[in-house]
Amino acid sequence: MTDAHCALDMKGITKTFPGVKALSNVNFSVKFGSVHAVVGENGAGKSTLMKVLNGSYPPTSGTIRVGGTEVRMRRPADAQALGVRMVHQEINLVPDLSVAENVYLGRMPGKWTLLRRREMVAKATAVLEELGAAINPRERLGNLSISQQQLVEIAKAYAADPRIIVLDEPTSSLSEHETAALFSILRKMRDDGIAIVYISHRLKEVLQIADEVTVLRDGSMIETRPIEGITAGEMISLMVGREVSNVFPKSPAAIGAPVLSVENISDGKHFRDVSFDVRAGEILGLTGLVGAGRTEVARAIFGLSQLTGGTLRLGGREPGIRSPSDAVKAGIAYVPEDRKGDGIVPAMCVRENISLPILRQLSKLGCVSHGADRALAGHYVSQFAISPPDGERRINLLSGGNQQKAVIAKWLAAKPSVLILDEPTRGVDVGAKAEIHNIIGQLVAEGMAVLMISSELPEVLGVCDRVVVMRDGHASAPIDRKELSEERIMALATGEEVA
Amino acid sequence: MTEGVVDIARMKPGDRFTRGSKVVDALSKAGLLIAILAVILYGSIANAAFFSTGNFLNVLTSMSIVGIVVVGMTFVLVVGGLADLSVPATIACGAILSLGLQPMIGPVPSFMVAVALAGAIGLLNGVLVGYFGVNPIIATLGVGTIGLGIVQAAVGGVIVYGTNPASAELVKGRLFGIPVVAIIFAAIAILGHIILSRSFWGRWTLATGGNYSAAEASAVPVRAVKAGAFVITGLAAGISGGLLGLTLQSARPLVGTGYEFSAITAVVVGGVSIIGGFGSVPRAIAGLVFVQLLTNVMVLEGVRTPVQGFVLGALIVCAVGMDAALRKRGGA
Repeated sequence: MTDAHCALDMKGITKTFPGVKALSNVNFSVKFGSVHAVVGENGAGKSTLMKVLNGSYPPTSGTIRVGGTEVRMRRPADAQALGVRMVHQEINLVPDLSVAENVYLGRMPGKWTLLRRREMVAKATAVLEELGAAINPRERLGNLSISQQQLVEIAKAYAADPRIIVLDEPTSSLSEHETAALFSILRKMRDDGIAIVYISHRLKEVLQIADEVTVLRDGSMIETRPIEGITAGEMISLMVGREVSNVFPKSPAAIGAPVLSVENISDGKHFRDVSFDVRAGEILGLTGLVGAGRTEVARAIFGLSQLTGGTLRLGGREPGIRSPSDAVKAGIAYVPEDRKGDGIVPAMCVRENISLPILRQLSKLGCVSHGADRALAGHYVSQFAISPPDGERRINLLSGGNQQKAVIAKWLAAKPSVLILDEPTRGVDVGAKAEIHNIIGQLVAEGMAVLMISSELPEVLGVCDRVVVMRDGHASAPIDRKELSEERIMALATGEEVA
Repeated sequence: MTEGVVDIARMKPGDRFTRGSKVVDALSKAGLLIAILAVILYGSIANAAFFSTGNFLNVLTSMSIVGIVVVGMTFVLVVGGLADLSVPATIACGAILSLGLQPMIGPVPSFMVAVALAGAIGLLNGVLVGYFGVNPIIATLGVGTIGLGIVQAAVGGVIVYGTNPASAELVKGRLFGIPVVAIIFAAIAILGHIILSRSFWGRWTLATGGNYSAAEASAVPVRAVKAGAFVITGLAAGISGGLLGLTLQSARPLVGTGYEFSAITAVVVGGVSIIGGFGSVPRAIAGLVFVQLLTNVMVLEGVRTPVQGFVLGALIVCAVGMDAALRKRGGA
């Protein structure tokens, strides 16, 4: 396939690192004007393959053709010069610059003259409009929500007039509504003839958007198929090499009395008059579009921001939470949405991360007891099958799923009665996701009350006992599991009645 | 999709450190030790005066005074507090008060008051940085300037002399042949090391410097921890200043000038991260030993002062550059 329709043709790509073969003899080709999905479990080699494609890793062997011509890419600038643009899962923008400056970062108009700001803003406005994104190009980037920042990332790639765009988990911080908007943008770019490589764990989305799908496993290409005639189940079994029957197992637990009750709580800015209670042994889902105020509710309950009104009761008492330490003392734990930013201390090892919230309990005369510290980490590493099973390993060397397990472990060590999980399975692979769901299942079986924020509807439907839907800072009444449907949730989340 | 075999995924092209942090740690530690040995070797060959008990005792004594500040400064850097530039003022405060108050309240209470006041200056720094979020450079520079002004006004800009020979003898004396200041320095270094590496406070300090938001979300009292690092430095500089005053038996308001730079140089050369989250007291002290021996050799060899400054400046630039490079590798 070296014809003109072929935007990218990678043949026999092998990439070895000292002691590890990350990619072995991978063939991968993408046509102009199509969306090509790449799926695979974490560690399957997607990331490495994309880094070969964007010039970060020169391959050990193999050839790459872009638009039919054989190329050699030694650094990301080479790839960019060839029209390959990458949109990373993690946002790589400058918070203190404006949206327009971010879109044209590195390519600002006026190379040897003063910056032509007006021209830049006009161009950025045009690009954002073309993508249908309602974002003011003069706004400071840091003031935007994560999902808007994600759109700016895409606009930045699009503004560079690329031939190939690689999107790595672009929907991981988007709500369903925003995902739909993103998809119409992607379809537009595809119709313009751009080749789109789409990496995602969300197979449902892959089925919606992709024209072709390539499955990687253990550094090898397993199969490339047109999207017609493949099912999510088939993709999963190709990814893991076995059949996975139940993606969202639900283990029944006895539901007890309310543990955490909030009544008409407000923070004066993001949410108002929110009321719900979480009962022992229950998983209460909190869903809605990104920006509806879900995370803000969780952060306020945990004392990371202050409530301006309403009451919060824990086991019938009002603990008066003003800081995370108050919340921990009251028995609340919070696994944050932004794992890298708020969840882990990257330079510390797994053990040090796990014991962080309860260091004082582990200390005698101010010194941390070595034995107790190690025992605690050892306990959770084996209970949660954290891999590799080494508490002394630096946590940022672990996969996302294993980092997340460690963050959950950190909070269980504090023995909370209420566990708040904010997007606990975002960006983790299918296997780790099921493990995390199992852990949550065990916890509620032991009587813990769990409040789970999730944007992923299948997860919400599969795991939660009751669901509260938020929209524009207001919360719906809880809906019972039996009455749940995707349509019902979407209707409440968007405020649009579904026929 | 940065999960999975992240060790691989995170590596940059041309990355030489692929085996995780342990080897790198060992290398960087050994690197400094090798550098220290090299300086000693060079000094011994180049200058007959270098490898002598007298010279080493001299180095040890002058190193001890800065060393006490280094212990405190390590906490400031590790917690992500950049640097404490009020050290010259806290040292002056320690030196002037521990001498100036002697006629009124006696040597020991003078020393205690001096250290307590230096600690109070540190607390002011800490509150500004930790609780009000003022940039540490600005806060400590401002507080230091004010503190120095007050000290100067209090003594009228003149030199203060010691009036208690007994205390001077004690501080300048030796115990089992080791200078007393060195013993005090060693005790403070060991205490500092235990606090940073073994205590929950130390772990909190590392966590706060490593990822402030994650530490905050893990119920670590981040503001207090940040403030605490400046209090520790204030106390350390106060002790250092007090000992300096007692040793010299005289103190000018500018007696502490340059100590902040020496301390920061030592800590950074020791490989403590200037951005926070990584470092230890032994590392900082290794940096101190290296810088002090190097300076000593340069002085003995008659290297001119501007050149000495050039060498020390180059050392800092290299150390910070290394830190940046290592951080990139670790993705931290």
